[in-house]
Amino acid sequence: MLKIKPEEIKVLSNYIYNVSGISIDASKAYLLETRFGKLLEEEGCQSYGEFYRKAKSDTHRTLERKIIDAITTNETLFFRDTNPFELLRHKIMPEIIDNRSGRGITNLKIWSSACSTGQELYSIAIILKELLSRNRTHKISLLGTDLSDAAVAQASAGTYNKFEIERGLPREKLHHYFTPAGGNWKIKDEIRAMATFQHMNLMQPFVGLGKFDIIFCRNVAIYFTLQDRKKLFEKIAHALLPDGYLLIGSTESLTGICPQFVPKRHLRSIYYQLQ
Amino acid sequence: MTLLKILVVDDDPVTRTLLAKRLIREAYTVDTAEDGRVALEKLARQLYDVVLTDLIMPGGMDGIGVLEAAKRINIKTEVVLITAHASVDNAIEAMKKGAADYLQKPINFDELFLRLDKIRNLKMLIKNALDLGEAMDVTEKRSAETIQNLEIMVAGLNGRLATIKTVLLKEEMAPETRILFALDRLNE
Repeated sequence: MLKIKPEEIKVLSNYIYNVSGISIDASKAYLLETRFGKLLEEEGCQSYGEFYRKAKSDTHRTLERKIIDAITTNETLFFRDTNPFELLRHKIMPEIIDNRSGRGITNLKIWSSACSTGQELYSIAIILKELLSRNRTHKISLLGTDLSDAAVAQASAGTYNKFEIERGLPREKLHHYFTPAGGNWKIKDEIRAMATFQHMNLMQPFVGLGKFDIIFCRNVAIYFTLQDRKKLFEKIAHALLPDGYLLIGSTESLTGICPQFVPKRHLRSIYYQLQ
Repeated sequence: MTLLKILVVDDDPVTRTLLAKRLIREAYTVDTAEDGRVALEKLARQLYDVVLTDLIMPGGMDGIGVLEAAKRINIKTEVVLITAHASVDNAIEAMKKGAADYLQKPINFDELFLRLDKIRNLKMLIKNALDLGEAMDVTEKRSAETIQNLEIMVAGLNGRLATIKTVLLKEEMAPETRILFALDRLNE
């Protein structure tokens, strides 16, 4: 595999930061080589410098999208770290239903802000389906966004291979909410129809999103610089309804990042609300 | 990972013995079965990493039968089929059913050992990935507990500091009273 030169590491990391907000430490040069080696070959580039210049001069941004797909970490699974989903089922949803009761049909908006290949949003959808099956007073809209077009495309297709399906999904849920599709599994239409997926870069201003009741922003800010994390949660604070809920990754913290959010504990989970 | 444990299934005693001998010489742990039924009994009793089976065998259970039984008993058992040239199509069908590989007769032992090395490497990679996943899971759970406790603790301390500041700034109170109130908040 082609070796990346020290001066190229800097140029390429800067480029990646500019297009994605992902901050790559200079000590992680191997990450650039393992993630881009194949793409470099496909593009017929003789060096990482050439690769960078090719990406930069591509007005259609085709290579930029491929670079983003390659550098984003799509590690995800159904019901990843069960606690947030238990929290949603047993605490957040009952509270929201309580708070909104008597207001007629209410619109409930939930956002999975770094949805990757869709497992998080579909896990949420499954829980809501189970909770609200007899309750017709809530109109639910679930939005999943991700920086990677490839991830968004897979999420939209709702198709998973046997490795993805085996991770985190209880067997009875698999048979209940998925149908076999040529060696893979496809999410059933009733769940698929609850969700919308679109491409979005969290580094850019949030346009036309409106306000949400619940925002999931888990395990994505870890790839950003401290300064960018502050900006991101500032924007998230504006995108959340006054009595809304924010869930972040289990090993993440908002201390010193965004004073507008107050952490609250429920059993083994923490969620955040606006002050 | 130790060397693979292999079950050799072949109705022909000469081939069976030859295979077993060569594998033992390469330090594999080897067991043999003369037909599908015996193979099935052995598979039910103990775990094998690899089953090396002839595709065509008399007595009601052929290589495909052994493959299906082995996979049913333990999905992690890998099955390599040995096939005559004429039955390559069947071997390919078998691979669709989950066989790891197939070898054509006459057996080239170098080729067999290479295939077994590949299976071993793959098994090691899968084990490493699972170990890593498990290690990450444990680390994530432990650090989540610590971080979440700290998060709540810091928020509590911040709240208390804010109250203390408010108390200390109450100009209508005598300084000593303010200090006493502040100390009270600290001792809460």
